[in-house]
Amino acid sequence: MSDLASLTKSVPNQQRSVRPEHPERRQARAGMVLFAPALVLLILILIVPVGVAALLSLTDYTLGRPSIDWVGLRNYIDIFTGSSYRKMIVATVLYVALVVPASVFLGLGAALLIRSLNVGQSFYKTVYFLPVMASLLAMAIVWEFALHPTLGIVNRTLAMGCGTPLELWSWFARSCIDGFPLWLGDRDYALYTLAFIGIWQSFGFNMVLYLAGLTSVPNDLYGAASMDGVKRGWERFRLITWPMLGPTTVFVVTITMIRSFQVFDTVEALTHGGPAKSTYVMIYAIYEKGIAQNLVGLGAAITILFLAFVMLISVAQRRFVERKVHYQ
Amino acid sequence: MTYRFSTRQTLAHGLLILGAIIVLLPFYVMISTSFKSPAEIATGTGGVFGSQALFPDPTCLALGGNETECLVRPVRDNYSQAFTAAPLWRYLLNGVIVTASIFVLQTLIAVPAAYALAKLKFWGRDAAFALVLFCLLIPVHAIALPLYLMLAKLGLTNSYAALILPWIVSAFGIFLMRQFFMTVPDDLIDAARMDGMGEFAIIWRVMLPTAIPALLAFAIFSVVAHWNDYFWPRIVITGDRSLFTPPLGLREFKGDLGGDVYGPMMASATIIAVPLVVAFLLAQRRFIDGITLSGMK
Repeated sequence: MSDLASLTKSVPNQQRSVRPEHPERRQARAGMVLFAPALVLLILILIVPVGVAALLSLTDYTLGRPSIDWVGLRNYIDIFTGSSYRKMIVATVLYVALVVPASVFLGLGAALLIRSLNVGQSFYKTVYFLPVMASLLAMAIVWEFALHPTLGIVNRTLAMGCGTPLELWSWFARSCIDGFPLWLGDRDYALYTLAFIGIWQSFGFNMVLYLAGLTSVPNDLYGAASMDGVKRGWERFRLITWPMLGPTTVFVVTITMIRSFQVFDTVEALTHGGPAKSTYVMIYAIYEKGIAQNLVGLGAAITILFLAFVMLISVAQRRFVERKVHYQ
Repeated sequence: MTYRFSTRQTLAHGLLILGAIIVLLPFYVMISTSFKSPAEIATGTGGVFGSQALFPDPTCLALGGNETECLVRPVRDNYSQAFTAAPLWRYLLNGVIVTASIFVLQTLIAVPAAYALAKLKFWGRDAAFALVLFCLLIPVHAIALPLYLMLAKLGLTNSYAALILPWIVSAFGIFLMRQFFMTVPDDLIDAARMDGMGEFAIIWRVMLPTAIPALLAFAIFSVVAHWNDYFWPRIVITGDRSLFTPPLGLREFKGDLGGDVYGPMMASATIIAVPLVVAFLLAQRRFIDGITLSGMK
């Protein structure tokens, strides 16, 4: 800090002094001083931990024990051969594969519908954006209550459909007899239920990004297309809107992927990775193994695997943006 | 052309209203349940806001009170229990302390760094910017385990420092402010230098005032993310209730108590969600810009 103070004070004197310091050199020094705190912190908080995780993933370290042994790649071999870790990869990938397309297309669909309205645009925009703002943990707990097998509004509402033509749907008829699903307590439904909450929470964010993308599509393009005989809505979408939204889509897909890879709040609060590890996603596994059970080596190995996934997505996006998305 | 009540418009409204009902369902469940008595919750009756019939409070009865003394109104009982069953005010205060400290420190560190990257020529500047871009790729949540171990080695877990420190440098904040400062004309800075201002004074008295919109957007982005964050507090705060942030407090509520406390729990959830939701409704455009900032690249 004293460096910065002297820097500030010294300037007026320099202007009056006979032999002013070279302004470029002064600027260079100021630049380094001003960037230094950020540099130190970026390295300590972001770069060093990656290195620490990489090293620890090759050991059997646990917090509180003095000894530490090198185990080579054993943690990684455990991950790729153990059945619970195979379930972890399956759950994570399935969750991402469910959330990303649904959230992206619902976001796009909502944006297109809202743009087509004459009245009420901002009303729907506000409503759909609310879940993005609200604490996901709080809303997860509310969803859990809404999905409660007996007290919840969801199963109560579904039960009202019994005895109506909805029973023609065999799943519905069977549920009317055997009871509606336990949702979060049933291994066949739990991951889908969490994915539903994830989609519910995230598509409003994508909608806003698409609305911004849509405003940048020049109106003359639609005029020109209609001169060329492109009149139907679907054709206009396929030939103009969709290609023009290319850069937005690449960005929306990437950010939704990275965020859904990091799902934790709903898993920790509602399922603890169960039932039968069906919702055992990676970030939850890092928390459970590395922190709750103090198996640091394993947790670190999952961390490195996770970072590899995330970096791969980001690098793929940057490549894609550079090469493919040049429509203008 | 489409008219206000054309079939197409009606169809679009129909679809969007259906979506809105699903989106708003949990908000409705949360608020409605927070108004109801345990009996109404158990039977699914009471309409939107419950009948608000007085009922005897079981804890009061257990303490030896008689029926008439112990009668309470459900909505009052739920909200007062939210504050008495757990130190909710303390949690809310912690939330404010943590989010405010994070934002102030992020600004103090990011703004000078961004100015240096945008407007000063120094040795290694390109490498410095490349480092910022690389750090953008690392989600802090992903490196939670090594960060936790480092804090544990320093004896800092279960402290405000643990909640705040990992977030004080935001690669995204630096990147964003740098992009903004690039658009500020050099002449403005040269004029300030002519007037005898030092670089430090230029940052806070010339650059920052021009960057208020960007900074405000970043503030919203940062505050929303950290007020709602559950993962990181969950890791570094173990047991010490006086350090709980609002989401941790709510989670404890759920973990502690049995099936008949949905009323107070939903009241707590409402209290925790309300500040941001109200702020959002009052300043929608700013919030949407702030939270979708990451779309600006």
